[in-house]
Amino acid sequence: MARLTIENITKSFGSVQVINGVNLDIAHREFVVFVGPSGCGKSTMLRMIAGLETVSGGQIRIGDRDITNVAPSKREIAMVFQSYALFPHLTVAENIGFGLRLAKVSREEIDRRVAEVAKTLQLEMLLERKPRQLSGGQRQRVAIGRSIIRNPKVFLFDEPLSNLDAALRVQMRLEIARLHQRLDATMVYVTHDQTEAMTLADRIVVFNAGRIEQVGTPIELYEKPANTFVAGFIGAPSMNFIEANIDTSRGAPAAAFGPAMLPIEAARLPEGPIRLGVRPEHISIASDGEADFSGTVEIVEKLGAESLVYVQTGFTPEPVTMRAPPHLQVSPGDTLPLILDRARIHRFSADGAAF
Amino acid sequence: MADVHAIHPAGKEFNPWPAVIFIVLVCLALLFLAPTAGVLLSSIKTTREIALGDLWSIPDRLYLGNFAEVLQNPAVHRYLLNTLMVAIPATSVSLALGVLAGYVFAKLPFRGSEALFLVIIAGMFFPPQVILIPLYRLFNAVGLIDTLWPVIFVHIAMGLPICTLLMRNFFATVPNALREAAILEGANEWQVLTRVALPLSLPALAVLATLQFTWIWNDFLWPLIFTQSDEKRTIMLGLVNLKGQYSVAWGVQGALSLIASLPTLIVFLFFQRYFIKGMTMGAVKG
Amino acid sequence: MERETGVWRLVFLALPLGVFTLLVIWPLASSFYYSFTNWNGFSAEYDYVGFENFAKLWTDKLFFNAAVNTVIWMVAAILLPTLLGLVLALLIDSRIPGGSVFKSIFYFPICLSAVVVGQIWIWIYQPDWGLLNTAVNAAVGSDLSFAWLAKPGTALGSVIVAWSWQQTGLSMVIYLAGLTSISEDLLEVCEIEGASIWQRIRIVVIPLLTPATVVVVALSVINSLKGFEILYIMTGGGPFNSSDTLAMHMYNESFKKYLMGYGSAISVVLFLVALTIIGIYFRELKKVDEIYG
Repeated sequence: MARLTIENITKSFGSVQVINGVNLDIAHREFVVFVGPSGCGKSTMLRMIAGLETVSGGQIRIGDRDITNVAPSKREIAMVFQSYALFPHLTVAENIGFGLRLAKVSREEIDRRVAEVAKTLQLEMLLERKPRQLSGGQRQRVAIGRSIIRNPKVFLFDEPLSNLDAALRVQMRLEIARLHQRLDATMVYVTHDQTEAMTLADRIVVFNAGRIEQVGTPIELYEKPANTFVAGFIGAPSMNFIEANIDTSRGAPAAAFGPAMLPIEAARLPEGPIRLGVRPEHISIASDGEADFSGTVEIVEKLGAESLVYVQTGFTPEPVTMRAPPHLQVSPGDTLPLILDRARIHRFSADGAAF
Repeated sequence: MADVHAIHPAGKEFNPWPAVIFIVLVCLALLFLAPTAGVLLSSIKTTREIALGDLWSIPDRLYLGNFAEVLQNPAVHRYLLNTLMVAIPATSVSLALGVLAGYVFAKLPFRGSEALFLVIIAGMFFPPQVILIPLYRLFNAVGLIDTLWPVIFVHIAMGLPICTLLMRNFFATVPNALREAAILEGANEWQVLTRVALPLSLPALAVLATLQFTWIWNDFLWPLIFTQSDEKRTIMLGLVNLKGQYSVAWGVQGALSLIASLPTLIVFLFFQRYFIKGMTMGAVKG
Repeated sequence: MERETGVWRLVFLALPLGVFTLLVIWPLASSFYYSFTNWNGFSAEYDYVGFENFAKLWTDKLFFNAAVNTVIWMVAAILLPTLLGLVLALLIDSRIPGGSVFKSIFYFPICLSAVVVGQIWIWIYQPDWGLLNTAVNAAVGSDLSFAWLAKPGTALGSVIVAWSWQQTGLSMVIYLAGLTSISEDLLEVCEIEGASIWQRIRIVVIPLLTPATVVVVALSVINSLKGFEILYIMTGGGPFNSSDTLAMHMYNESFKKYLMGYGSAISVVLFLVALTIIGIYFRELKKVDEIYG
């Protein structure tokens, strides 16, 4: 069973601590995506699982086996690099069989297994080519081929799609999803692209500043972000944030911002100002008399399937983003009455935590 | 190539500059070629012709007596052989050591490795005279004076800085991910070096081999210090020695110079690209 | 894994560092040591003489002569090839036909040895039928028979010319490489802004060649400090020590007169001179790196 357990992992470079006590339990066959801004520690965490970085403290286990200090090649893991790291002087077949050759596996055995892998990845026609004669997508398949030939228990992917153009990225994303369905292996995937994270992951781990902000399924993170960081990071375009104060002058507590007063219910109200989060799809144009507030249209971005409308409100520093139907007739300068979907408003206290 | 000079704004009818530059360059080139041409001419003329002041005219017949004289001289054979016996091992070993050290500095840096690297590089800057006496004493103590060994050893040591520098710079361009991928596949550092890094650095090795071989072949100082008997002298020393023997036989001296320069000229002709690359590494950023 | 890497480092570095320590670092340190002795090169015994050798330097007229010549030699041997190389590079870079042929012609002397270059130029300067006198005679119309290398006034200068002939190609190719890295856009901006050729070269091209100049000067310094062989071949430091440099003086004192202790003192001075130049150079290099890095 390839369950991957990460316990109290810390990592420092000199006096700088880049990973601050990470705990994570990844189930057998689970597809987990590490996501976060650059420098958040997600890649370092992946490289520690691979054994390319030493661990400053804590333990990493695969199944019941402690691999914290095991050599990378003995961990039964495989890794696909951002650059694919194909050896430019070797053919596709030699690249895929590289590890087996080092392990002194017999020539016939290598050939047989390379052929097998090449067949699953549709690389048969390319086996004698050198990496530079391949397209981006083919290179990625070779990199995957090199990783699956050793039957690893855990696959590690380090931003494998970031070198591809947009169309190919979608295609390769599907291919990785198929690979996961077919193989009996656990996968850990690092990306800074939240769309990739949402589409691929069974569970997403959001990293920020060397610690985990939240772990959950894509829908959990989308619907119940634990704090403003996760709320802002997951979802595109980003969630709108509105500064508000709690007003209890009329009895029932309400969030007051601009001209609006929205009642809020909570077991325990935080001290001080709060922050409301509203996703662009949860703002709509109000019919007469229902508007929470109104604003001036600044820019309309027509994406075809929908339009994004940026509205200046006067009480938010940045314009509010609204998702609108594609044929909505608005132009910059128009004044729009807007209403928020009350049930979908996220509330955060001053320190960023959801309540 | 960046075009610095040519003026080509639209509408200009006649541009005299290229023609002027071309003529200036031809004159300079002739001036640069004249010294070499003198040697070439002398080598195919008789001593009598040269003494009569006829060196600089184009000969109407090819006189090969000078070359025959040189090639029949057993001392010349010995000098050439000695030089090869120094240049080949010294070039290969200094390259090998440069590869090892360069790999560590590029791919396995450690605390203080940058400083250590600078110390080795600094070795390139110092005039060799500074360490002449202690080296003489060292090799004298172990009884190797008047053999080729000290020349080989010293060339290995003196070549180490440039080899380390170039190999480290080259290995630095080999992506780290390649090393890591190999390690994940079970390679140790030796296997990373021999199976991944080295096959990718053949151009750099060619550059270095060209430079090192030329420098060692042309060297005069070290064999001058460490060898005494005629049997152990290298070609450049031999050239100076034979000057006495052929004191007024200018033509023979010319032929001798030519034969002594032949290996490096051949290397230059075939590897000019590498030669220039080696010399210009670092001149261009990125 | 970290420990294993440490072992590999040790394995890889052992031989290079061993050789370097034994044949470069240790001798360097020993030079300092011998400079305080009166070792004569063969006897097993020698005495510690304190600063006597250095005191002797102070009164050694030949040493001062050699020091002055070294300065002249270095300044000229750095400036001439650098400037000439820059001019040649700019000329060749101007899209004239046969550029690569010119490049090879100017470059090939670099692969000749000091001995051969010396030999070639001894002939050029040969009083009776040397090219220089032949040309001068043809121009002036009289028989000059001037012995360039045998006259104290011209010996050092004559060797510097020979040296420049050999080294110019090196700075030229480095400048050519630097020129290729100047983006075409910048030169087009010059054209749009209406800069003259001269302005273009002075204001844009030469400043952008700074990294190349850094390399050229570094190599020139290295090479000219080592410029012992060609002087040895062409003049042997003469006539009347007029082309004697520190390296030559050190060689003569150590290996001709067998005053190894005194020779070591000279080499220590040579080392300190080199160290100073390199120190200044690296400090300047840092500034350049900050701008162009």
